[in-house]
Amino acid sequence: MNDEEPIYKKPRVLLLLIIILASIALMTISYKNGTVNVGSNLKYGLDLEGGSWLQLQLQGAIIQVNADEKKIIQTEFGKLLNDPSIKIEETTLTSITFTTSKQTTQKIIDDFGFGKSTISQAPGGGTRISLQTDAASVIQKYLENNLNAEIVRIPGNILTFEVRQTVTQDELNALLQPVDGKVNSFKVGVSANTRDETKDILETKLNSLGIKEIPVRTVGDNYILIDLAGVDITTAKDIAAKPGKFEIRIQVKDNETEHVLYGTDITPGLPAKEKGDVWGVSFTLNDAGAAALRDAAIQYGAVTNPSAHNLIMLLDENVVFDAPLSPDLARNIQSVPVKNMVATTGTGDEGQRKATELQIHLRAGALPVKVDVVGAGQVSAELGSKFKLQILIAGIIALILVAIVVSARYKQPNIVIPMLSTSFSEVVTILGFTVLIGFQLDLPTIAGIIAVIGTGIDHLIIITDEVLAGGAMPPDKVYRSRLTKAFAIIFSAAATVLVAMSPLLIMGFGALKGFAVITIVGVLIGVFIARPAYAEVIQGMLVEDTGKTFVDEE
Amino acid sequence: MNLINEKVIDDYVNKFNFKHMLIFPAILLAVSLLILTYTAITTPTHTPVELGMEFQGGTAITFDSSKTPDQLREEFSTYPVVQAREYGGGNRKLLQFGPMKESDLSDITNKINSEYTNIEIRQMGEVVSKALQGQTLQAILFSFLGMALVVFIIFRTFVPSIAVVISAFADIAFAAAMMDVFGIVLSLGTVAALLMLIGYSVDTDILLTTRLLKRKGELGDKIKDAMKTGMTMTLTTLAALTALFLVSSGSYLVSTFTRIDIIRDISVVLIFGLIADIINTWMTNVGILKWYLEKGRTTEKRVEKPKKRRQTA
Repeated sequence: MNDEEPIYKKPRVLLLLIIILASIALMTISYKNGTVNVGSNLKYGLDLEGGSWLQLQLQGAIIQVNADEKKIIQTEFGKLLNDPSIKIEETTLTSITFTTSKQTTQKIIDDFGFGKSTISQAPGGGTRISLQTDAASVIQKYLENNLNAEIVRIPGNILTFEVRQTVTQDELNALLQPVDGKVNSFKVGVSANTRDETKDILETKLNSLGIKEIPVRTVGDNYILIDLAGVDITTAKDIAAKPGKFEIRIQVKDNETEHVLYGTDITPGLPAKEKGDVWGVSFTLNDAGAAALRDAAIQYGAVTNPSAHNLIMLLDENVVFDAPLSPDLARNIQSVPVKNMVATTGTGDEGQRKATELQIHLRAGALPVKVDVVGAGQVSAELGSKFKLQILIAGIIALILVAIVVSARYKQPNIVIPMLSTSFSEVVTILGFTVLIGFQLDLPTIAGIIAVIGTGIDHLIIITDEVLAGGAMPPDKVYRSRLTKAFAIIFSAAATVLVAMSPLLIMGFGALKGFAVITIVGVLIGVFIARPAYAEVIQGMLVEDTGKTFVDEE
Repeated sequence: MNLINEKVIDDYVNKFNFKHMLIFPAILLAVSLLILTYTAITTPTHTPVELGMEFQGGTAITFDSSKTPDQLREEFSTYPVVQAREYGGGNRKLLQFGPMKESDLSDITNKINSEYTNIEIRQMGEVVSKALQGQTLQAILFSFLGMALVVFIIFRTFVPSIAVVISAFADIAFAAAMMDVFGIVLSLGTVAALLMLIGYSVDTDILLTTRLLKRKGELGDKIKDAMKTGMTMTLTTLAALTALFLVSSGSYLVSTFTRIDIIRDISVVLIFGLIADIINTWMTNVGILKWYLEKGRTTEKRVEKPKKRRQTA
């Protein structure tokens, strides 16, 4: 041992001191707009700050299916043409040809949406129809029609679809069974792309509502967590979860409707009195939207007979607006795509209320998939500050009790003080680390810190007892070998904690991630930084205190 | 003040033989397992520990109100009230609802937010809570097996390793059984505590086993030394946890305090676990190790001696 070297110059102690100072700096100093501010940089979670959190599940499924496209054509066109005896003539990679005994037109077939058609008279009477399509598209259209859902094809070798709606494997199998098909693979959830798209839209949307810095996090492929500080749970749900999938459909006949466009093609204006006392919301369609609306209006005859072909606006499959095209608009749209439109909602206060609501719905934009609130929570601000104070008191009392227990055991201040300081330095370092990675301190995270302190003190006790086995500080060489033994125990103990806690990183849809991360990080900081430094400190502190004679190792 | 009474430890180590040491913990483990089995048979969910709201779905709301639980139940009688009760003393009340329509739920939350104070709301969907049940089972299994694997890698011998694993299992069984006895339900907090306990309760066992297997010296002395260290460890941790438990339990101690579920859940499960750990480390594990080492004493001496010379040379 080098007696001339002061404690603070020992490398491990020095490292710990630097890290403590860095942590304190991280916690207290911030730099913004050219000025340095001193104040707490700790971020608190919603349960300490007050606010609400939502856990949203994206409704959808990733499926791999097969089905006989010929059977699909027979069933679907059989229903359309009311002909149970459709005969498939030929299928190629890009076309399917079939004959029906019924008469039909190209327009009817094209409108059905299975692909562009060519029609000719069949040799034996009836009609011969050739569709430009392939098996995958036929299956996709079949699912779309029968699930009334948006189906997206996911690129890849195996035919994979994303169903953007709640669906079960049984439902799908029941649907595919009549067309000789079945589900080969079924996974609840949506693709990572869809999830990220939804997250981005939510973020933009919440920011546009004036709520800044909302952490929107994704968990797995189909969960999104949103924290809304200072907002109660009902408001949180209204602004984050309610805006969902916006769609405009057009009435084909009676209860049958067809998709025209999604909310992504719409830019809403403000609610205003349109004419006289009638309220309405203006909105603008982009080129694609305007074209889609024009095509649909012409295709389904809304141009000539608007009152029989209402435009229906749906939000999460609920009708929020249902009205015919105005006669003027119907006439105009025949010649040019119309981009600026007004949805009128009625007169008086009721009309105004509805207009405001519709505007929010329009602004909600389209989330690509429907989201459900599967979990939510709220802690009011006053309760949060109560929690904060109480947890601080708990921490202080815990520290005092630990100090009493440790003092009762060791009695020597030059063991007790380094021990408690090391433990406290671990707290500081962990807190500094949370600032560094932008982690919020919530109740589970604080529980994690306390747990780490518990194991930390235990490990310091192991070091102390192991090193002082003979009752006093041994010579350097023996000290080293004892320290190695102490650390063998500590590393083993730390390894079991790390392994046992690791499932929490993924479990609980992220609810306990803070607890797990902090425990793991804290254990690592303790084992690799704080406790080695403690070992050096007590060696230095106790070397002068060798009043007792050294007792041989064995 | 002496934290560790050496005479008591001396007496304990000298007077007890390993057979006596094993009887009490064996009975304790059997009772724990009986309680867990009984709960599994009698609870509607058929789980060894009663499931909390997070695992069943529904909504739990805690708030301050001078109304009695019965008055609150009456006030919300049009909704599916699962329970209404006092919560951590003072005016604190808990209302728990079963699954219901989103619109009903927002009526309730609106009403509570406008009429009461210090509100905490937690809502969990049924589908997610079911998924959570499966996840929890997996997490506990994974955690326990992972811990066992690490222990086996550390000691590389069967009997000492399995002794540690048995002790840890008994700790967890006791903590879970005490949850049943004291009506503590399975929540995310208690699951975190159980996992924590799996990793944490083996600390003293590892200390004991390492000291007994790898140190030289008389067995009884080694046990005494390990016990001094281990008891100090457990007592400091228990001291800290007791502070947490008391402060997070509610207004029993200080009238302005309120109950903090997650902290209370974690601390109470760990307290029971560590009490069991004292018994299982210093009776079960010591008992098994003593038997193992005394049985293998003659062979061990031959193996150990050359090693010692090499080390000291």
